Amino acid sequence: MVKVAIYPPNSLVLGDLIERKGHTVLALQKAMSKKVRDPEIDSPPMNITEEDPLKGLKYAAIEVPSGVRGRMAVIGPLIDEAEAAIIVDDAPIGFGCIGCARTNELTMFCLRKKDIPKLELEYPTNRDETFDFVGKINKFLDTLDGEGGN
Amino acid sequence: MSANLAISPELSKEELDPDFTTRMIILGPKANVSENEIVSQMHLLDLPITVKWTCYGAMVSGNEEDVMMAIKEIRKLDPYNIFTKSRGFPPGDPRRCRGHRYGPREGFHQMESEYRILADVGDALKNPKDVLIEKPKPVDVDELVEIVNESIEKEDSAEK
Repeated sequence: MVKVAIYPPNSLVLGDLIERKGHTVLALQKAMSKKVRDPEIDSPPMNITEEDPLKGLKYAAIEVPSGVRGRMAVIGPLIDEAEAAIIVDDAPIGFGCIGCARTNELTMFCLRKKDIPKLELEYPTNRDETFDFVGKINKFLDTLDGEGGN
Repeated sequence: MSANLAISPELSKEELDPDFTTRMIILGPKANVSENEIVSQMHLLDLPITVKWTCYGAMVSGNEEDVMMAIKEIRKLDPYNIFTKSRGFPPGDPRRCRGHRYGPREGFHQMESEYRILADVGDALKNPKDVLIEKPKPVDVDELVEIVNESIEKEDSAEK
């Protein structure tokens, strides 16, 4: 079972395909889940703990907007944990936590520079492209060390 | 006075457990089962989970092991058209529940965008296509030198 990082980090299709193959998906929701249920934070995700800016500084310099550092405090540890990555370019998804273009660029940069198996794809716009998209993801996941799945 | 959109939740002891997880079960456009069927089926499993019937399928929460077991069983009903995704907030959390924040939650728009390709994704899973993954190769040095020389020549001729 391999830990696979994805971009967009909260993608339904990517997360589902990875879990079907029995791998662990490093989804943003799981990181947020821990954060929103942390009793130390009164009103998550509006507030952060004093550790978060420090975590964010590992990925972005102090002069980078605080929103980028705040987001990287959540997304960054997922990238560190990754053993493989699937990056989808031009995904028409940028809502909520991932609605920051600079963070998205930094996320992709961090994933690309990491020495792990990577698959880069374009978001499908028609039926044929979707078949290629799913086929390539499944083939890539099969090449990773994994077994089982649901 | 503006509305409080960041209401502090009153989470139960169960929801504060690190093993607690929430999953969304999303039915693709070509699904052969209805939301009603999957919710009924999950109740019949007799697992200690909370199931919520939603417009896109269902939301199930509880201990991770039980939730994954429920998903595994539910997927047997229509393996190619039942999709799942984890969710950060527990069901009915006032910080995300649309009843408190005057509009759909952000995740709904995301799901709406991805829902458009779910029918084809389901078909692609059913009839897998043999594809070739091309590994990106770095540009050959000689080729790069040629391209640089060509562009220099072009610039020089344009200046003249």
